[in-house]
Amino acid sequence: MASTQPRCEKKNLFKVFFDWFLRRPESGIILILLIFVTIATCVNPTFLSPRNVVNILRASGFTMISVVGMSMILVIGGLDLSIGSIFALSSIVTCISITQWGLPVPVGIVIGLAVGAVCGLLNGFLVVKTAIPPMIVTLGMQYALRGTVSVITKGVPIYPLPESFTALEPAKLAGIPLIVIIAVLIAVVGHIALSRTYFGRSVYAIGGNQEAARISGVNINRTKLLVYVLMGILVSFAGIMTASRLGSAEPSTGTGLEMKVICGAIIGGISISGGMGTMLGAALGAVFMEALTNSLTVMRISVYWQNVVFGVVMILSVLLDQYKRALIRRQSIRNTELKRSAASAGN
Amino acid sequence: MSNAILTVQNVIKRFSGTVALKGVDMELYPNEILALAGENGAGKSTLMKILSGIYPHGDYEGRLLLGGEPCRFQGPADSEDAGIAMIYQELNLELDLTVAENILLGRYPRTKLGLIDWKRVHTEARTALDMLGVDIDTRLTVRNLSPSLQQLVSIARALYRKPRILILDEPTSVLTEKEAGSLMDILRGLRDKGISCIYISHKLDEIFALCDRTVVFRDGEKISEHKKSDGYDSARVIEDMIGRRLDAMYPVRKASIGQEVLRVEHFRVAHPFAYGKTIIDDVSFSLHRGEILGLSGLVGAGRSELCSAIFGAMPKLCGKLYLGGKEVNITEPSQAIKLGLGFLSEDRKKNGFIWSMSIRENMTLVALRDMMKGLFVDQKKELQLAEEFFGKLRVKAPSLDTQITNLSGGNQQKVILAKWLMSETKILMLDEPTRGIDVGTKSEIYSLMQELTDMGISIIMISSEMPELLAMCDRLVVLGKGIVQREMVRGEADEVSLMRAASCT
Repeated sequence: MASTQPRCEKKNLFKVFFDWFLRRPESGIILILLIFVTIATCVNPTFLSPRNVVNILRASGFTMISVVGMSMILVIGGLDLSIGSIFALSSIVTCISITQWGLPVPVGIVIGLAVGAVCGLLNGFLVVKTAIPPMIVTLGMQYALRGTVSVITKGVPIYPLPESFTALEPAKLAGIPLIVIIAVLIAVVGHIALSRTYFGRSVYAIGGNQEAARISGVNINRTKLLVYVLMGILVSFAGIMTASRLGSAEPSTGTGLEMKVICGAIIGGISISGGMGTMLGAALGAVFMEALTNSLTVMRISVYWQNVVFGVVMILSVLLDQYKRALIRRQSIRNTELKRSAASAGN
Repeated sequence: MSNAILTVQNVIKRFSGTVALKGVDMELYPNEILALAGENGAGKSTLMKILSGIYPHGDYEGRLLLGGEPCRFQGPADSEDAGIAMIYQELNLELDLTVAENILLGRYPRTKLGLIDWKRVHTEARTALDMLGVDIDTRLTVRNLSPSLQQLVSIARALYRKPRILILDEPTSVLTEKEAGSLMDILRGLRDKGISCIYISHKLDEIFALCDRTVVFRDGEKISEHKKSDGYDSARVIEDMIGRRLDAMYPVRKASIGQEVLRVEHFRVAHPFAYGKTIIDDVSFSLHRGEILGLSGLVGAGRSELCSAIFGAMPKLCGKLYLGGKEVNITEPSQAIKLGLGFLSEDRKKNGFIWSMSIRENMTLVALRDMMKGLFVDQKKELQLAEEFFGKLRVKAPSLDTQITNLSGGNQQKVILAKWLMSETKILMLDEPTRGIDVGTKSEIYSLMQELTDMGISIIMISSEMPELLAMCDRLVVLGKGIVQREMVRGEADEVSLMRAASCT
């Protein structure tokens, strides 16, 4: 880079780049990811083997799709704990409609996505129309929907699934798993939606200060509703693709998914209290979560330890988020005080 | 002097940069109800916060003597123990506890086993209520009481602590006239039982009826003292309250007033805190093209609530709104904005700006809908417009991408103003547009208002600063007790007549 611009001193350019990098909201997750990959590779060099990297990316695809939805919900100041159950319900419905009702695969998928949309709509409706906190609404929905899955399946997995369905997920394009390409596309669209559209600006505004957004004419209810519906559709897509990958729809699939997804979004720089964070960072957060899961396996750490690690990472990432917010607040207070003392000195 | 129960000696309180109290001396005598009068920011509340221990000893200069003994309060608990009870303007009761629990809060009597002696809780609460001659069931939940009964419960709570001095800050703001009357009788009864009172109010009629002595504050100084025994002269008290101030520079107001653009008929708005009460009972007024209409009135007269209701930010109970002669129904701010209304709210932090956003994003939030290129925000146009207003309003900031929280109050206000000017606002409601803003920025905002009306925009301005209202407004509507007390045109109004109308004397 320096050689193409000889008039700039190398050191200077590096500093400029470094400053720019640090000011980006994604710098935190990129550094975390780099440090983590280095450590994992030192412990077990096979971590970076092409085969394992593809594995990580493939798994990241599913998480990333859900993280895109969750990021929007967190930025708007909401929360969705029901995604694991929506994930299961829509994959079950899709598989039933293909195997038992004999519907064509695309129709089955559309029905599954519709189920996700309806669940999201219900979440959104309850959040918007009642004064119940999103955490309670979606915790209730988590149980209600998981119960619905049990009622439908009576605890029995749905399989075998037709070839035309199970062949979907393993498909590759130019050697890259299709799911990775789709996930990256969704993340890019999500990034653009958040950063370049009126909808995205509304999401940030509502998360930052809902009352101020309302007075500025932002339609609070419609935006919130849309965000929850999008979440439902995205997570059901991930669920359907998982069923295609596994070749069966398990009633217990997606249990604890919300933990991984929320954790990924927060460590990717999405603020748990809303208003801040970028989709790009959140998508990288999804990759981090899958790399973490994978590394535990590669490092031969017992599966039983996984939840301990997830729990700790969750708390640490929220701590990081609060520290960041405190820093912004403190900085602003210091600045205003400086200004005030300068102003009074001027008087 | 020697028999004073409370003496304040040369108290000075500084905040970073400003002096809120400039060496105040004051006495309170036994069996006396003393009124503190003064405009907003005169220093009354600061002094009361010193007396109630919120500003601890060492935070201010000067001495407090209680019964001749110097006292050094470290916090509100010390002040309470010394016998000073404070009743705040906003009720600070625990709404979901019972009346008795609230009265004895934190001082529950115990049985021998160390459990709360509920029987005694209720009998003692009863005794405190009996002092006020109030008959409320001590087992009722406070939330279910009317605001006036809640007010009485908080007075009972203060009395339970056996105070020597009772401080009341605007106690009648949620009471009806009749309830206020009985509160005054209660206070007179307490005075005769040996409890001295400090009574803070904007309502001069109440002060004149109730208080034995009135001390007037202005700009952090005690200006004068009036005794009831000498007879109160309301004109002199008002004059002392207003005084002569250093005014910001106002532009010469040249108005070209056109047709009626907005008419409000019979608005009624619910009280935001007191359940079941109205803050605006029946208000009608109109606004013309290019006019600046001032809404005057005391704090709590419902000026902000009226504007919020017009804008759809708060529901109205009834009333009609006409824009350009056509009746419109606004229930959400987004509808108001589409009809060309803008609302600069009073509390910048609460609902003015979005703290997590930059200057640019805050500026363009309203007008963003008109800056779309298909599905996307036209970033070039956004930046161009934001730069234009950044320069036009002379916002002092390093760049458009600076976080808005890094700006001073005046610059934040400019950004919020830009938000409304950028969208095609025809009618702009400004709620305390110059509060907490330095003098220089103030006069910039005044000139801007003049420019806007030259362009045919109409402005409704709410302000507690009378000189500002008198200098800028073509017409003034004075609100009080939920109705329009008086409507005055420019030239007819002066500070004394405004104050008179606002305090309903």
